Amino acid sequence: MFVLDQQSLVQGRHAVLNDISLEINAGEKVALVGPSGAGKSSLLSWLWQQHSDDIALCPQEGGLVDILSVYQNIYMGGLSRHSSAYNLINLIRPWSLRQQEVYTIAELLGIDETLAVSPDRLSGGQRQRVALGRALYRNKPIFFGDEPVSSLDPKQGDELLGTVLSQHKTAVVAIHSPELALKHFTRVIALNAGQLVGDWQTQDITLADIKAVYSGE
Amino acid sequence: MRRSIFKAIAICATVFSASIASAETFTFTAIPDADESRLNERFGKVADYLTEQLGVDVKYIPVKSYPAAITAFRNDQVQLAWFGGLSGVQARELVEGSEAIAQGYEDQFFKTYIIANAATNLIPREEFPVALEGKTFTFGSKGSTSGRLMPEFYIRENTGKSPEELFSRVGFSGDHSRTIALVESGAYDLGAVNYSVWDIELGLGKIDQSKVNVIWTTPTYPDYQWTIRGDVNARYGEGFKAKVTEALLNMKDEDLLASFPRKSFVPASNSDYAPIYETGKSIGLID
Amino acid sequence: MPQTFSSSVLIKGISTGARLRRLSLFFSLIAIAFLFVADIHLYTPDPWQELSRIGLGLVTPYWPNASELGVSLLYTVSFALLAVSGAAIIGMLLAMWYHWRVVRVLAAAVRSVHEIFWGLMFMQIFGLSATTGLLAILIPFTGIFAKVFSEIFEQQPVTATSTFGKASRLSRFVYGWIPQAWPALASYTRYRFECALRSSAILGFIGLPTLGFHLETAFKQGDYSEAAAVLWLFLLLIASVRFWLKLRLLPVYLLLAVLALPEMPPVNASFIWQFFSQDIWPTALQDGDFNGTWEWVSRVGVNEVWPALWQTIAITQAALVLSGVLALMLYPLASRALVGRWSVLGRFKLLVLRSVPELMLAYVFMLLFGPSALPAILALALHNGGLIAFLLANSSEDANKRIGEGVPKGMMRFAYIDLPQRYPAFLAFLFYRWEVILRESAMMGVVGIATLGFYVDSAFEEIRFDKAFFLIVVAALLNICVDGLSRWLRARSGLKAPTL
Repeated sequence: MFVLDQQSLVQGRHAVLNDISLEINAGEKVALVGPSGAGKSSLLSWLWQQHSDDIALCPQEGGLVDILSVYQNIYMGGLSRHSSAYNLINLIRPWSLRQQEVYTIAELLGIDETLAVSPDRLSGGQRQRVALGRALYRNKPIFFGDEPVSSLDPKQGDELLGTVLSQHKTAVVAIHSPELALKHFTRVIALNAGQLVGDWQTQDITLADIKAVYSGE
Repeated sequence: MRRSIFKAIAICATVFSASIASAETFTFTAIPDADESRLNERFGKVADYLTEQLGVDVKYIPVKSYPAAITAFRNDQVQLAWFGGLSGVQARELVEGSEAIAQGYEDQFFKTYIIANAATNLIPREEFPVALEGKTFTFGSKGSTSGRLMPEFYIRENTGKSPEELFSRVGFSGDHSRTIALVESGAYDLGAVNYSVWDIELGLGKIDQSKVNVIWTTPTYPDYQWTIRGDVNARYGEGFKAKVTEALLNMKDEDLLASFPRKSFVPASNSDYAPIYETGKSIGLID
Repeated sequence: MPQTFSSSVLIKGISTGARLRRLSLFFSLIAIAFLFVADIHLYTPDPWQELSRIGLGLVTPYWPNASELGVSLLYTVSFALLAVSGAAIIGMLLAMWYHWRVVRVLAAAVRSVHEIFWGLMFMQIFGLSATTGLLAILIPFTGIFAKVFSEIFEQQPVTATSTFGKASRLSRFVYGWIPQAWPALASYTRYRFECALRSSAILGFIGLPTLGFHLETAFKQGDYSEAAAVLWLFLLLIASVRFWLKLRLLPVYLLLAVLALPEMPPVNASFIWQFFSQDIWPTALQDGDFNGTWEWVSRVGVNEVWPALWQTIAITQAALVLSGVLALMLYPLASRALVGRWSVLGRFKLLVLRSVPELMLAYVFMLLFGPSALPAILALALHNGGLIAFLLANSSEDANKRIGEGVPKGMMRFAYIDLPQRYPAFLAFLFYRWEVILRESAMMGVVGIATLGFYVDSAFEEIRFDKAFFLIVVAALLNICVDGLSRWLRARSGLKAPTL
């Protein structure tokens, strides 16, 4: 489904990703691990370009529009399903059918109380839930996330990640927590300084293997 | 009491500043009633003529409006000015000893046209038109004699009402040419315009008479004149005022006269403008 | 559960967007209410002949004497350059002590009077000289710089300066605030320079030897080809600023500007004294006659100030809302991120809108719609809408440079992402322009609607400086009120001052 064959990505004079070869098949749930600046985000956006229409993307900064309500922010995931006129009307007067759909997702994520609030008034954790809500509302078979639960406490992050992954057939998620990577994913890809330093099936490795990536061994 | 103290200080300061200025340039300004383009070029020639005639350095400075001309005259930035009837009266009120020395040949019997857009269906007549009530009306500039003062005077005299009472809307176009354009386009129903500007623009084919026409002409009155400051003899030499007057009256070059535009200049005095002063007072433009 | 779910869930809670929308709606309703107060009439003139002359002139620009135009171009730039440099420096000093009430009041007072009014007043003292031109721009701009610079400083993080210990205020600014805020300060000064060019040109309308002098004359005389030549030259000047205005060349430019200034005739001290001691005070007051003064004030108040005040406010409110509507409609057309290559056309349109003097737009609209408040409202709205749209388009392009993947395109991006993201900045810009629009609608009196400027203009024409001064003070006070109201509203709605 996603294929990279000895490819490199150069930004300016600096190689962000170096000689990467990998293949990801439908049905796989892949965790991208590695220290900050390892090239995880670049790899994600590179892969995203290959099938952008089938992917629900949850970028690192969330891409929230601060002054619109949480409802509208989640609804944005479904913009491509409707005509422009329909979307414009929704901006002024939300359709009740869509409200129900969005409500269902918000409830799943525990933010149903905040639907009318704008994200600039929410905590970092709540904002991440909104961003996840938008990704879920995209209704796509593939989920791409860039640190999607980094602002949540470990327990909440664990639960939400499980929820989101269960709604998608395939997933590629950049994640810092080795525990979550092991628990929720079928495959772990490790990057360091733009190099592919590990590519394992989850059942073959232990926490120590992932932690080793961060200590640079 | 306090005013006289202020005055005394002011006079001292004037004397002081006058005494430090030496080998002075004689400066004049002029705003023609029509065609204000290329003022520097046109009146530069007039300055050259005066330099030649007077034996002092004469300079022209362009101004934009009557009040600007009056201010320049009052502040002694110019010593001679080509004023409109009303602005001349106002300037002479402010500068003691100043004098009207010459006027244009045409200014002895100046007049104003009341013009109307064709849609008003008003036709030209001898007597003051009666059916003006409720129309819209534009004057020229607020301080203009032919574009404001005299037409307002005759409107009041003939109708017993102020323009604001008579018309549904009163505007000030700021300029005679613009008055014609605004009435021609129908933006205003009626307007008051300097007769010489109208006649010139008509001659140039700039006016579409199927759209705008003259419906009434005011009686004649004195208008533009040369006014000179009272202290020029002391500053530029005895008999300087008479020399300036003579130079103006002897200006025969068509090219120079066309800048004003006047046929020639004839003698004038402050008393010629008494009617303007009275009119200004009666409609509240002069205190 | 879905079946018990009703839309009421969306109503509870606070959304910033909804609050700003309510605020916008509130202002729109006020504007509509004021439309009934404003002197609005629709006449149906037959303007096509005049308009076709204007149109023909625009495409056949012509100027007979290039050196004359060149000189006035030089004066226009010199006035603007020197005045802005001076105002930026003084404004910076004032901004450092902006926490002092006296500084704030001083800044508010000097910026509350329109450049043209300053020009008219200084003309009584300094005549048609460079001093008049420089001061008329320098003084109000100093007040504006003081305010905006102080706001820029407020937005800076305190981390750097908090490590300085007990350094003097000046050192803290020189080492901390100013370097920290430098990009914002520089970009605002650059923007102000463009405004100063406009002001400088417009001062020609009252007789200073800048581009406006020729523009106004030619336009007034109906020489539209000549007017167009000046207008195109001015547009070219504004559009080219970013190519030639470089910080390191500034000293050279300043030197040239000083050399290029027209001569300054000696100032007669007695006139300065007379102007301040006599001319601007009513005769009754000078005589110590307080009853007479009161009578004078109440007569001017009832006959002129009161009706003029309403017209001015009505036009301001209507123009404010219409500016906003136009800005929102126009800015996407000039944003590369939203319309791609077509943005060049949109940019050009905005350049024209924000550069053409409002008075001239008002005149053209008067030909179209007849004389009333309508041409003034439209002219103000187009001009200010064009300016705000320009600022929004810039910020839209900046924001979209670093936008992530997966955002919708075209119309949907505008409606769901770009517009909501720009909206707080948009409202802040609009509230900033509020006082400017007020000053300009007072000015609009010149086209014949009875705003404050109409009576100020009349008073100058009638050589009644006492009345002119009184009316200018009233206009200034009104302006200070609106300024305060705007600041309060911005603070209350959490609208941050956008960095320009």
